[in-house]
Amino acid sequence: MSKPNEPDLRLRSVAQSTYECLRCAFCFDLSWLGPVNLCPSYAWGAFESYGARGRMTIARAILEGELAYDESLIPRVFACTECRACADHCFKYIDTNKVYTALRQDLAARGLIPPQLAAAVDGLAESHNLYGEPHANRQAWLKHRERLDKPARVAFFVGCTPAYVRRTMAGDAYAALEASGLDFTVLGDEWCCGHPFLAAGQRERAAEVMRHNVDTLTRLGVERVVFDCPGCMRAFREDAPEVLGEPLPFAAVHITEELARQVQEGRLRFDVFQSGVVVTYHDPCTLGRGLGVYDAPRAIIEAMPGMRLAEMPRHKRDAYCCGAGSFVRYDYPGLVEKTGVERFREIEATGAQVALTTCPACLTQFQHIHGKLQSRVQVMDLVALVNRIGRWR
Amino acid sequence: MAELIERLRSICGPEHVSDALADRMCYRRDCGPTPGGVPGYIVRPESTDEIVALVKLANEVGKPLFLWGRATTFVDAGVKEGCIVLALDLMNRILKIDVENQVVITEPGAIWHAVDSELGKLGLEMTVPGGGGMFSCTVGGTVAFNAVPHGISEYGVTGNHVVALEVVLPDGAVIRTGSWANADAPFPIERGANGPDLAGLFIGACGTLGIITQVALRIRRIPECERFLFYAFDTIDQCVDAVAGIQHQNGATFLIGLFGGPPPTGVGGKAFLQIIIRDHEARAAERMQICRAVCESFAGRPQNSEGTRRYWTEHMYSWLRNTPPDAYYGSRPYYCPEVAGFVPTQALKQAIPLVQQYIANNAEFARVGMRVKGMDVYFSPNAAFLWVDTLYPEMDREAWRVGLRVRAEISELLFGRWMSPGGIVAGIAPYIMPRLGPTYELMKRLKAALDPRNILNPGVLGLGLPADSQLLEQSR
Repeated sequence: MSKPNEPDLRLRSVAQSTYECLRCAFCFDLSWLGPVNLCPSYAWGAFESYGARGRMTIARAILEGELAYDESLIPRVFACTECRACADHCFKYIDTNKVYTALRQDLAARGLIPPQLAAAVDGLAESHNLYGEPHANRQAWLKHRERLDKPARVAFFVGCTPAYVRRTMAGDAYAALEASGLDFTVLGDEWCCGHPFLAAGQRERAAEVMRHNVDTLTRLGVERVVFDCPGCMRAFREDAPEVLGEPLPFAAVHITEELARQVQEGRLRFDVFQSGVVVTYHDPCTLGRGLGVYDAPRAIIEAMPGMRLAEMPRHKRDAYCCGAGSFVRYDYPGLVEKTGVERFREIEATGAQVALTTCPACLTQFQHIHGKLQSRVQVMDLVALVNRIGRWR
Repeated sequence: MAELIERLRSICGPEHVSDALADRMCYRRDCGPTPGGVPGYIVRPESTDEIVALVKLANEVGKPLFLWGRATTFVDAGVKEGCIVLALDLMNRILKIDVENQVVITEPGAIWHAVDSELGKLGLEMTVPGGGGMFSCTVGGTVAFNAVPHGISEYGVTGNHVVALEVVLPDGAVIRTGSWANADAPFPIERGANGPDLAGLFIGACGTLGIITQVALRIRRIPECERFLFYAFDTIDQCVDAVAGIQHQNGATFLIGLFGGPPPTGVGGKAFLQIIIRDHEARAAERMQICRAVCESFAGRPQNSEGTRRYWTEHMYSWLRNTPPDAYYGSRPYYCPEVAGFVPTQALKQAIPLVQQYIANNAEFARVGMRVKGMDVYFSPNAAFLWVDTLYPEMDREAWRVGLRVRAEISELLFGRWMSPGGIVAGIAPYIMPRLGPTYELMKRLKAALDPRNILNPGVLGLGLPADSQLLEQSR
């Protein structure tokens, strides 16, 4: 066990944030919507130590030498989907994720990482993907290879999950970008974005892969990178500048922002999908609260004729997590399941026939929960729907 | 204590009991400046039956219980080292919305604002809005503290709106109050029935005399309209006189006076009055006219009331000062050793300058970086509830010590003249209870009679302590 006052505490760099916590409990629930949860981790872990107020208390207790890092803190720190609902509803505007990141890094520095996550990121260091698949197969989903490593001003960053697990997502995003007439490149030597390393508290390993990806994109003359996966986009736009200590040399946009712009410019229109169909849209936490992209997906949906968007009570800033964020599925399946079922019940309650989202982790989670619940609600990737009914000029 | 934790687990289920230090650290302080002791166990009962079993166990083993709602008070909760914290968050259900009899029944851990949100879907609301200051507070905690609510100028304190309570007594007996005491009555309808007002015994008792397990509160239709006014005055006296005039005519639902701290952005003056009126259209117009006439007769200058509206609808205090919440609350590691209580409205003319003078004369106040957040007043129908909110930098131990001394000295200053606090609890009890003389003695006799083994919230409200001297020592 480490001593609490060791000089290498990363927590010290965010100490002020822990002292800013007023203990107001605004991070517990969304009471203005009724008796509903805000924090999936607290709802699952049940004791306050699993919620934001508790984590702030733990951090402060460590700083003050009243508590030491040990195994009991692993679930209380790592069983967090990093959905940022606590930060976005904090009375004192505390960037809670900064504190969580420091806690994760301190725990990782002491070898205190959840075992399955630790194994996954060890494999990632070897294979450059989270699934232990051969790196050579990363872009095997591509039917035509002519865009690989082609110098271009725009790049499509695929991400591990679309590349290896949800290949139709990669294909749909690629097809949509191609149909829009965009001149873009795909990296032949794309590595994981580094997000899993950060989730495991391994900053140095994250820096290594971030450096590789940034340098590779820069060499191709890329000025704008389009992402399908919000987690990858966050790793580039929010984390890489901080980890690498330099500004990102290109713009990072989500594919829904790219498509929404095309809709706005009149270059993308839609056929009728199903006349009178009611859809709902799940805001991926990282895309919404993390990156502030709420309107682009909705602009696309609203441009689809014959479709009605029925919002869930918890949407946009108040959206509830799907339960799959920050790789909690490796070690905390109960958290993933409980949160996913709660969110899916909310989807069903809208009366929608189709649930749309635009994140590989959310989509995978909802497809799993859909099967578990034998739900009548169809789950679809928004970009796949665009690809199916979109007409570009 | 291996046996004790096993018995706790057998009552509440193993998943609802923890003795992990990381958990226990999270249940020892409210929003006040001083951490309490680290409890020995955290238990999360799900039913009245489980609470009865826990109370009996606590009596048997002589281990005190500390009741935990959301701990959003600012007065130092006073958790005892090694105690069993009874976290009531699982008992958060809305049990019945009785539209016919205009009552809602909830469990104690229900979040006040969430209950109001559910009622709002039916066009209804609780007859007192918002619980205490924090919209994250629980119904049980707010009633146990008899919180000073929003809308107090017309609606009075929270306790006024309780119809009946279900309470587990310190010996494990379960009682219901008012008309609900009649086992043959199907639901609660009247507090003033079946003998003395026993609900009143537990309202404001801060969990020292019993554990509230169900609360029946009055509900009503949401008023037809809400109107807002905001006035600036050049003197405290003018503002206080205007308030008195409005109080005498029941002119407003909620009157909030600002007498210290940062002035509202873009508004000149020495004192400020926020006015909220809720009523049907015709009566609201009439009351607006009353408020305008009174304020202007005392040289009040009307201001843009958009901040007032946003304060009322968004529940963020910063809007009282025309300031967005992010600019007001962001990046401030400050804690508030508040002193608050009821004073006669006219006494504000002396109390506010007295506190201002104290702060001006206190060299340490400025030296350690303390500041005045506000001297804000929620006006009741006939009096004033004054908050003296000072702030100290939380990361500085010396500032913390000075902050506690400031709290003690302002308490002496105000409790020794006009002020009587509302929710008392551990942080404030030493400064007020000894002043209550025979009334405090009666409270102690009640505590001893109901809770002879002293297992419910010992020390809170200055009750359940061996002797007065110990209480007084805490204040020094």
